Amino acid sequence: MLTKLYAMYGAAVLATLTFGVYRGWSFASVDEVKNVPQSVRDNPGSYRSAYSGYRRYTGGK
Amino acid sequence: MSTPAPPSASTPQGGAPPVRTVFCQNCGGSVTIRFVGRTINVVCGSCGSILDAADPNVRVLQGAQNAINQVQPLIPLGTRGKWRGQLYEAIGFQRRSITVEGQEYSWAEYVLFNPYRGYRYLTEYDGHWNDATPVTGLPTPQATGAQYLGLTYKHFQTANAVTRFVLGEFPWQVRVGDRAAVKDYVSPPYVLSEEKVDGEVTWTMGEYVLGKDIWKSFHLPGSAPAPIGIYLNQPAPLSASWKELWVAFVMMLMCVGIVFFLDEALAAKEQVLDRTYRYTGPPITGDPSFVTPVFELKGRVSNVEIRTETDASNQWIFINYALINSETGAAYDLGREVSYYSGSDSDGSWSEGSKNDDVLVPSVPAGHYYLRVEPEGDASLGPVRYSIIVSRDIPPFPLFLAAFFALLIPPILIGWRAFSFERKRWAESDHPMVTTSSDDDDD
Amino acid sequence: MRRSFFCPSCGARVEFMWSSSVQTTCEFCRSILVRHDVDLTLVGKVSDLPPDVSPIQIGTEGRFNNDNFAVAGRIIYEYDQGAWNEWHLVLSDGRSAWLSDAQAQYVVTVASAETDLPLQDVLYPGKSYAWNGVTYQVTTLTRANYRGVQGELPFEYWDKERATFADLRSTTGAFATLDYSDDEPKLYVGEMVDFDSLRLTNLRAFEGWS
Repeated sequence: MLTKLYAMYGAAVLATLTFGVYRGWSFASVDEVKNVPQSVRDNPGSYRSAYSGYRRYTGGK
Repeated sequence: MSTPAPPSASTPQGGAPPVRTVFCQNCGGSVTIRFVGRTINVVCGSCGSILDAADPNVRVLQGAQNAINQVQPLIPLGTRGKWRGQLYEAIGFQRRSITVEGQEYSWAEYVLFNPYRGYRYLTEYDGHWNDATPVTGLPTPQATGAQYLGLTYKHFQTANAVTRFVLGEFPWQVRVGDRAAVKDYVSPPYVLSEEKVDGEVTWTMGEYVLGKDIWKSFHLPGSAPAPIGIYLNQPAPLSASWKELWVAFVMMLMCVGIVFFLDEALAAKEQVLDRTYRYTGPPITGDPSFVTPVFELKGRVSNVEIRTETDASNQWIFINYALINSETGAAYDLGREVSYYSGSDSDGSWSEGSKNDDVLVPSVPAGHYYLRVEPEGDASLGPVRYSIIVSRDIPPFPLFLAAFFALLIPPILIGWRAFSFERKRWAESDHPMVTTSSDDDDD
Repeated sequence: MRRSFFCPSCGARVEFMWSSSVQTTCEFCRSILVRHDVDLTLVGKVSDLPPDVSPIQIGTEGRFNNDNFAVAGRIIYEYDQGAWNEWHLVLSDGRSAWLSDAQAQYVVTVASAETDLPLQDVLYPGKSYAWNGVTYQVTTLTRANYRGVQGELPFEYWDKERATFADLRSTTGAFATLDYSDDEPKLYVGEMVDFDSLRLTNLRAFEGWS
């Protein structure tokens, strides 16, 4: 009974995996942004990345 | 000698099983023997004396029992019900007990009777019920258990059972104070019990049953008392066969493997960009960011791998990436860090981090794209050379890893649950499971 | 095959239903009658029988091992835990078998030709014997009294004083009885049977029980 339930769950996992592989799913944390202006190509500095301003602790001073 | 006896003296052709009402020689109370001929001992309901039902004078075999007015069987004697497909009447009741480490544990036994199908028993301990019948074959005792009809039963407990109280009718000689050496062997939901009296052995097969089913069958008022704790042959809830579960796991893992190899074989793995840059620090004026040439992603929606290969050595570099569709303006924004440190100390040489990094951007539709790159670093540590390699439709290893864990977790949870249930079951036995942790829960 | 006689004691008509029967009891006066070629000999009388508790009676029919049987008679024994019945079954080919009802546990056995049998005083519970490839273990030794007979039996049997029986069981439900009521021990082998598996008809009716 429990094995059957597990098999059903496993089938769902497999189906999800196959679909995810086909659709190119990924766990990476990526922000989707819409309508980036054409001008970014000419002036890359005008783009504000969600990740800019990163300052890393490097261990020393 | 020669006078013919009336024909009625021969085989009776029917009627109710013979019932006989007698008077207790101890207290004078009237005692009904419902199953004359089958019943060997009957207990006076008024004073608890045990009477010889087979004796015409119903002589007293054992005197009154003090507990007669205190003990109330949960199934009143005389109650009838359809049990296991047949009509049965509760005719006898006894309480027996064992003493383990100074603690007395007592349980109840009900004698059920059907004039055609004979006797069977219901036992009750702390709300746990067993339906017991005599065995047909002889179980084979083994070192740690017993074998019976192809099933292996594990030894649970050996104890001396003492009869404490009796009521009703019994098809055997019964006395308060009777002793039997009892060995229980379990294979849930079954329990095999071996009772030894004067060298003679009787085996009984019990099957765990639910109190509520008994209440329903015998139309008992109220509801069955809730069982307390775990009983020796109580089946584990949501139990699954180990073997079945692991076979299912391995089979599904093989399916994951098939999907993996298919994807390895069929994925495009198409490289669309490979560029090398050098980071020397932020420019004195302007912005460190730049864009790559436009490249084309073909085919269906797929993942896009952005691989960063560096020559970092005791350095770090952080890159803000934006994968931008030059036609629609849709962008995927992400930040990646690459750092690699190495050296040697008293423990030998060490290293930390990696010179390379890759990331999968999920579900990117076909189109023309470019990357906006914004590197950051610590110029004082020297320049860092880095290559950016973009490919589409790469087998997503993390997805397969996630599927593996998703499949592994249920068997582990079920196994852990089953293990803790069995540990509780066996804690009450002669063979408690040895645990490495130092908990002594006493429930 | 049916043979009619008159009871030498009371004159009532006595019929032998089964050609293999040697002894019967008169239904009216409970005389025990033994058949010789043409006449009957009165050999004894059955005293009052204990209350009838078995659902089986003379005339009950049933099935065992894909064979039909009919109940022709019985021997009643008594021991310290009560009385039990050994019902004499006549199988479809005329052979005899026994259906014992002891505390409503049912066992069907047939006489075995085995002659190399242990003596009574070497038996003890737990001791094993093998006959015909089946290993049996002694489970109980019962000292019983002959209590009475009824109906047709395949041999002369009456007025026994004491009889000792050893019950033996196998691991699979096979059953054997060593009968020490005669000079020579006799072996009966068979199995424990479920009441419903015998598909008995013409049973005694117990009022209120179906």
